[in-house]
Amino acid sequence: MTTQHGLPEGDGPLAGVRVLDLSWIVAGPTVGRALADYGATVIRVESPIRVDTARVVGPFHGDLPGVENSGLYGNVNAGKWGLTLSLNVPEAQDIFKRLVQWADIVSESFTAGILARWDLHYPRLRELKPDLIMLSSTLLGQTGPYNQVSGFGSQGAGMSGVQYLTGWPDRAPAGPFGPYTDYPAPRFALTALLAALDHRNRTGEGVFIDQAQAEGTLQLLAPAVMDYLNGGPALVARGNDDPQMCPHGVYPCSPTDGRAESWIAIAVASDEQWRSLAGLIDMEASLSFDERRQQQAEIEDALIAWTAQRSADEVETMLQSKGISAHRLATTEDAANDPQLAHRNHFQRLPHSLHGETVLEGPRYLHSETPGAPARPAPQYGEHNEQILKDVLGLSDTEIEDLAASGALS
Amino acid sequence: MLSPYRVIDLTDERGVLAGQMLADLGADVIQVEPPSGSSGRGVAPFFAEYPDESIYWAAYTRGKRGITCDPADPRGRDVLLRLLETADFLIESSDVGRMAELGLDYATLHERFPGLIYTSISAFGQTGPKADYVGSDLAIWASGTPLLMTGDDDRAPIRVSQPQSWGHASGDAAGGSMLALHARHRSGRGQHVDVSGQVSVAQATLGQVLAYQLGASEPERFAGGVKQRGIGFRVSAEVQNGHIVLNMAPGPAVGHFANHAVQWLVDIGAADPSLLEENFRTYADRVATGDADPEIFPQIQQIMTNEVAKRTKEEMLEISIEYDLLLVPVLTVVDLAESGQLEAREFWREIEDDEGRWVTYPGPPLKIFLDGEQRANNYRPPPMLGQHNDEIYGELGITHEELTALRSDGVI
Repeated sequence: MTTQHGLPEGDGPLAGVRVLDLSWIVAGPTVGRALADYGATVIRVESPIRVDTARVVGPFHGDLPGVENSGLYGNVNAGKWGLTLSLNVPEAQDIFKRLVQWADIVSESFTAGILARWDLHYPRLRELKPDLIMLSSTLLGQTGPYNQVSGFGSQGAGMSGVQYLTGWPDRAPAGPFGPYTDYPAPRFALTALLAALDHRNRTGEGVFIDQAQAEGTLQLLAPAVMDYLNGGPALVARGNDDPQMCPHGVYPCSPTDGRAESWIAIAVASDEQWRSLAGLIDMEASLSFDERRQQQAEIEDALIAWTAQRSADEVETMLQSKGISAHRLATTEDAANDPQLAHRNHFQRLPHSLHGETVLEGPRYLHSETPGAPARPAPQYGEHNEQILKDVLGLSDTEIEDLAASGALS
Repeated sequence: MLSPYRVIDLTDERGVLAGQMLADLGADVIQVEPPSGSSGRGVAPFFAEYPDESIYWAAYTRGKRGITCDPADPRGRDVLLRLLETADFLIESSDVGRMAELGLDYATLHERFPGLIYTSISAFGQTGPKADYVGSDLAIWASGTPLLMTGDDDRAPIRVSQPQSWGHASGDAAGGSMLALHARHRSGRGQHVDVSGQVSVAQATLGQVLAYQLGASEPERFAGGVKQRGIGFRVSAEVQNGHIVLNMAPGPAVGHFANHAVQWLVDIGAADPSLLEENFRTYADRVATGDADPEIFPQIQQIMTNEVAKRTKEEMLEISIEYDLLLVPVLTVVDLAESGQLEAREFWREIEDDEGRWVTYPGPPLKIFLDGEQRANNYRPPPMLGQHNDEIYGELGITHEELTALRSDGVI
């Protein structure tokens, strides 16, 4: 046995909090990323065989696909320590159980029932560590007739109504960009885990959290489904129409910098805003909301005639100066150059042993006293295997060799 | 779990979900509205039976108590400050600068209540060149980049028809507030948590917001899928009664699901059994080395498209479960209301309000077990305007006479 001295502790409000992150792709890893940003020690456990999908979808460094090139994987796993474990191998299960005893929080996103098959589900882990906090996050939850439905957030978008509610009334659903349930779900999981940690620290009680990512996403769609459930109409996709704002939409501008297209989002929320806009596009300033809805096509024609002659930048600046909500549809290049995102230091560059440097997003919020930050880039495959096995579990070189020979690590 | 903590929720429609997330975890959340009612009570949709009442507001105030207070009136400000003495969190979503006009900005309140966690939700953030921009769901969605990536490529980009931006920002406000609580446990001090909708919605891009800076190509909008480097990847397919979402692709991460799909196609006689010998986890590599036929996968995709088109989304879901496919129906609002899965998990819940009316709500977003026992959910109905004035102001020691005077002067 070598000496156990653990992994270096992070800085921040969660310093000393230990997280075993078995989740994968986006929804679960995003939670561990936030915990790591604020000082938690997060060990990300990956299967060496079943490649994390986040590693094989872009955006890639230099546009080159590769399991160590994914900016998505980098973004949701920064600050973590990486360990590869084949959990179907008994020796790996033993390592996993020892890490559970090390951890305060276990986060996982296997299809419901998989951990039970290995006898590594919450009831068993709770025997090992009664005050364990565990998050199990799946598309549809641990229970119910469809709990076995596996899938990505793209399936989640279908199962939560977002796919259906993004589109034009005369077309098939366009759907949102990517696996939508991966976007709201981590907010609910993170908030609950932090509440659970607070609860455990006060009471000593362990906490199990069953997250259905679709149910989290449905919180953001609640008004639409509640309307139907309470005797109202069932919402259908309506393009960019809004029941209370008019005009409200996305309009073409004159492209600049050799781009093929350029767009501006405009939302007129009040008669006062309309009066300001009407003066610019030569429309009747006194039109009420109902009248604007009736004349929507005519208004949009006049608006497009006006926006199409101008750059999105010019329209944005002019409308905002008149108190009208407008913003260009930012490309990712625009985001890179956005002065507001720069002001918030939202994009952060870190040295990277393969890429020289990598870029990722900062935390989703600015804390005045204890700002979060990623301490290091996301781990490469098995990057910290030896460090974790030695420093956290106290394994000797021989024991690590035996473990490797068992197939637990590869 | 959060029962020791009190949240003073000054948000309007832009931040009202944040406090509810904390209420669902057990916090005592007090929604504070102006005496005339929050602007959030004017946000669509409205109840079919009670056309003056906002479903939006009801949805996100379930679980809270409610009081009224005019913070622009000195006496209103005074009672609000007395209330803040009892608070752990303040959450607000006012126009940037408005809290300072009221003398309720972070700097002022931090001096007076050093332990208070003060969370601000705004479109772009509290400071910076766009801090004073007029925000809206659509403009935020545009600024954070997901809008340009979404929609049909021959039309203007589109948002989600139920607005999402403020929901994402509110979710971050709840998480950011909890991080500040853990910081307070160590330092004893509260802090300012500044949430920007623009930053929050950048999460809705699958990391693509970084594309340019990584040297990757810009994502392009592509109905029913995603497109990058000129290659579209459609995940939506038509079935008899609607659509499904289907991921079927070769590759090490998802190829086994394609193998499962082939098994189904063979079992129903739509594909030749010899295709079972093809392993789509390694297919792409073998195509690259000339050891596999590049035409095979497109053929299977075509057969799959033809076969699903003959079936209903309900049939396809059962097949998906039996064969373990990455395939689900595109649920409509009606499907969601009638979902057997959500029913089995008791997600939709009828709650009786204090006027004896029954309204159906979504339940809390998570199921939580303490020491192995499921925690009871908070199904408190949304407060009517000023419903808990007597109760909460009474707890502060404000006398009945004072309350009557404040009420008649329009302060509460």
